[in-house]
Amino acid sequence: MPEISYLEAIRQALWQEMKRDERVFLLGEDIGRYGGAFGLTHDMLDEFGPERVRETPISEATIVATAIGASLLGMRPVAEIMFMDFVTLALDQIANQAAKMHFMFGGRTTVPIVIRMPGGSGSGAASQHSQSLESVLMHFPGLKVVNPSTPYDAKGLMLASIRDPNPVCFVEHKVLYKTKGEVPEGDYTIPIGVAEIKRAGRDITVVANNIMVMKTLNVAEKLSKDGIEVEVIDPRTLLPFDTETIINSVARTGRLLVVHEACLTGGWAGEVIACVVGSPAFDYIDAPVRRLGGKDIPIPYNRGLEKFAIPQEADIEQEIRALVEGKI
Amino acid sequence: MSKDKGKIKEKDIGTREQFEERVKRLGLSDKNLIGLYRTMCTVRHFEYMADKLYAAGKVHGTMHLSAGQEAVAAGISLAVRPDDYLINHHRGHGHFIAKGADINLMMAEFLGKDTGYNRGRGGSMHIADFQSNNLGANGIVGGGIPQAVGVGLALQMQKRKEICICIFGDGAANEGVFHEAMNMVALWKLPVLYICENNKYGMSMDVERATAKLPIAQRAEAYGIPWACVDGNEVVEVYDAMKIAADHVRSGKGPYFVEAITYRYFGHSKSDRNLYRSKEEINDWKQNRDPIMRFTKHLLQSEILDESQAQEIGGQAEQVILKAVEFAEASPEPDISTLMEFVYA
Amino acid sequence: MPVPFIMPKFDMDQEKATIISWSKKEGDLVKFDETVLTVETEKVAIDVPAPASGILAGILYKDGDVVPVTKVIAYILKEGESIADLSKADSPTLPSKPEAAPVLQTTVAAQAASVNATPVALRMAKEEGVDLSKVLASGDKITREDVQHYIEEQKKPAARVTLPATPAARRISLETGIPLEAVAGSGPRGRVRSADVLAKANLVPSSVTTINGREAEVVPLSSIRRTIAERMQKSFQESPHIALTVDVDMTEIENTRKRFNVQAEKLGQPRITITALMIKVVAWALVRNPYINASFNGDSISLWKDVNIGVATAVPQGLVVPVLKGVDRLGVNEINMRLSELADKARENKLKLEDVQGGTFTISNLGMFGIRQFRAVINPPESAILAVGSVVRRPIVVDDQDRVEVHPMLSLTLSADHRVIDGVIAARFLSDLVAGLKSPSLLLF
Repeated sequence: MPEISYLEAIRQALWQEMKRDERVFLLGEDIGRYGGAFGLTHDMLDEFGPERVRETPISEATIVATAIGASLLGMRPVAEIMFMDFVTLALDQIANQAAKMHFMFGGRTTVPIVIRMPGGSGSGAASQHSQSLESVLMHFPGLKVVNPSTPYDAKGLMLASIRDPNPVCFVEHKVLYKTKGEVPEGDYTIPIGVAEIKRAGRDITVVANNIMVMKTLNVAEKLSKDGIEVEVIDPRTLLPFDTETIINSVARTGRLLVVHEACLTGGWAGEVIACVVGSPAFDYIDAPVRRLGGKDIPIPYNRGLEKFAIPQEADIEQEIRALVEGKI
Repeated sequence: MSKDKGKIKEKDIGTREQFEERVKRLGLSDKNLIGLYRTMCTVRHFEYMADKLYAAGKVHGTMHLSAGQEAVAAGISLAVRPDDYLINHHRGHGHFIAKGADINLMMAEFLGKDTGYNRGRGGSMHIADFQSNNLGANGIVGGGIPQAVGVGLALQMQKRKEICICIFGDGAANEGVFHEAMNMVALWKLPVLYICENNKYGMSMDVERATAKLPIAQRAEAYGIPWACVDGNEVVEVYDAMKIAADHVRSGKGPYFVEAITYRYFGHSKSDRNLYRSKEEINDWKQNRDPIMRFTKHLLQSEILDESQAQEIGGQAEQVILKAVEFAEASPEPDISTLMEFVYA
Repeated sequence: MPVPFIMPKFDMDQEKATIISWSKKEGDLVKFDETVLTVETEKVAIDVPAPASGILAGILYKDGDVVPVTKVIAYILKEGESIADLSKADSPTLPSKPEAAPVLQTTVAAQAASVNATPVALRMAKEEGVDLSKVLASGDKITREDVQHYIEEQKKPAARVTLPATPAARRISLETGIPLEAVAGSGPRGRVRSADVLAKANLVPSSVTTINGREAEVVPLSSIRRTIAERMQKSFQESPHIALTVDVDMTEIENTRKRFNVQAEKLGQPRITITALMIKVVAWALVRNPYINASFNGDSISLWKDVNIGVATAVPQGLVVPVLKGVDRLGVNEINMRLSELADKARENKLKLEDVQGGTFTISNLGMFGIRQFRAVINPPESAILAVGSVVRRPIVVDDQDRVEVHPMLSLTLSADHRVIDGVIAARFLSDLVAGLKSPSLLLF
């Protein structure tokens, strides 16, 4: 099976779906000749033309609104918000419009749009270009929030998102763009709303998203040599969240740690922990239920500061050891 | 686009000759005219009934009534086609009725009933009827303006004959998305007819205190969009301007912007006690510039209707409203067991 | 007068008990009959109730201490009383020296002997109705602040949860019946984790040491193991054991069982086990041989009216002997059901004191391990025990024609206390038992 990058996997999904379904088109800033800020849409203008690879002025709110309006007439737009940080400019259209239209109109219409947005720190882009805002998007019922961590998941979830009749926020991580993995060439989808146990383990359940999945798996590998077996769960979709998989896992391991890059306060870890602790798995919890998240600071520019603003592998390892050994 | 067209018409069509000449030029039949009249009466009755129902405690929440603005709604509806797409704002009852909405279902939605257009989930501010290409009212001021870009884009990509009509108020013209949208519809030459219903007030802000340069329609020029400004209380004038605009848009020449000057009699919403405008002003508009009064005068003058016929039509309109209230009151509320429905498709 | 709280005796020949945990502490208000502490006797864990209502004070023993029965372990005080009052009366129950190190006397108890408080504090206490013996002094004397603090603390609701433990540990505690108070927590701040409770339930932690140059894993004696050790030694030393063995042909009894089970299936009832049938026959034989169902009292012998048969059962912790009461009056079906219930309870560590008390005879069966024959040690204060081996199909001579057939044969060995039971008496019992097993219809008479 060919090994391609996370970026290429998303591009492949868009390409294949645009070929398959003429209702699908892209809109966003600089996605045409420039090929997109991260090069994700390179060569797509030549293939599909300026109508379907539609470059827009810098108008995030209207980019999303245009997607909404077009979808009401049966189109399947994939809009891009260049950096997740800019989603705030389009929040009315996402939260008050797209998320609610199916409901407020009594189920009489659907808004089948996908809004792609790369987030995440690690590229030195500083406070306004490095955020992880998925926790905010989770708060609007009617919206779906998808967050792949591997190239395989990225392609499958993108195809599923385009085909989903609901508005989907497709959250990418800019540092993951370069990571590679095996991706089938053909058509396949990954169901939205289903978590994946990326690694089975007996001693502790660790839930992590996007870039933290990779870090946690590395830590798990290391801890395995010391006889600590870590179960790593990647939710893949943040809204609707697959709490059942987590609950069943914690009922087996008795320990839970949630790790995300997003700021700790108000971060989605709290949501997961509340679900688990309030579930029947409570009686099987044998250690404090904890979380690791980004520090409650805007992402700094300095490389060293930027690195330590989010959980590192050493932090994850330390926390897991302490929990398994009963030290905290 | 010529400079002339952009100015507010100074000549009105007060005299019989002027009226008949315009009607002839526009090719409006008696049937058309009576239709306009009926529409305006229906809207007027609906709005007053809504107010009554609220006072009687039968409608909860709030509502935004457009009594006084009937001519704009009626004029537009005749100038466009029934299957043209409509994006509306929260003061939109008139436009729905003019587009041919089922009054029963509107009233039921008003009362939050399961038989309403939105199954009781939306209420007054979110009424939509996708069957007739009525894409719904928006509760966010200006929320629909950029969505019209998308509708126009889809129409263009699908090579369709319909156009998108997007109606908003004077207050919405100051939202950021207004400018984003104007820019983009013009850029891509999309088939969108933007109509600004300027009723002189946002919520309590006089349009002159909120808007740096009037008329609002002139902003369209900055984006290269042809524009017109019209007396919104003279239904034939409205029709005239809207027809030109709609035809322009439908021909693929790109967007058009029409501003209609009108006035609302009720406060912004139910909690508005009209403290920001004087009784004199309201009465002046009611007595001297009421659109229905003016049109009735035309019709009677030109002997298209006589007194009793006019009354008859008014009475029929009222009946339709009363029947709708009956229907709505008899309709069931949505069942609590359906609370979680319609979140996801 | 302070009421002495003594370590009660629960069993006729019980001499001591181990304190598992106090559920109330020094200074707590207790109600008459409310559980104050949990102790472990030779057989099971028992809750000890307060002998009176009042304030628990003067606790002399702590968790883990082994206390002789009837020794005073604490006192119950009434409002206004203090431990100091004891010295006023000539109390014969005044403890001299506790077996283990005494519980640390709180400052309160020490103070109670001579209430050292400022005049202001005294007056405040009087006005507010505060018992100064309960007030902790922050310095040399009880001050007004101390009384104030005490009053405020009293207003706060008592902590509902006082013991740190994980949810999993609490669940396992409930399931195994091991109180959390009895478990030492290995987590931070004394938190009890599930591993701690499990360790207490199943395994006693052992350690590997070198003794005299040779390596051994040293396993401390658990309470049950210690009990078994003591009792078996005592039994062997005190009761002169004689052992008699018979082999019995089980053909008839097995046929009887099969017939029973055909009926049972038709009626939707559970199947009868051989053990249940055997117990029924043993009970019949015991009724016919009362000296086997007896106890030696030194200068008399008690011939028990009831036939209460204990069935030795192996559990992870060791050996327990749940007792079937009044077996002579029970039908086989009932015996079968009760046997099953007791076995479940034993497995789940849920046996109560009454389940293991009052036995008059014991049956021990090692047949499931293929043991053909063995001798068991009598379970005091009983006088006999029946050791049951495995049923083996063997060729035997079935008539005086010396014909040989293969029949299911079972070896039974009766160990009897020669102080009570002579050889002939023992032999008669076995003879009856064999007869009953070979011809179950005898039981009808």
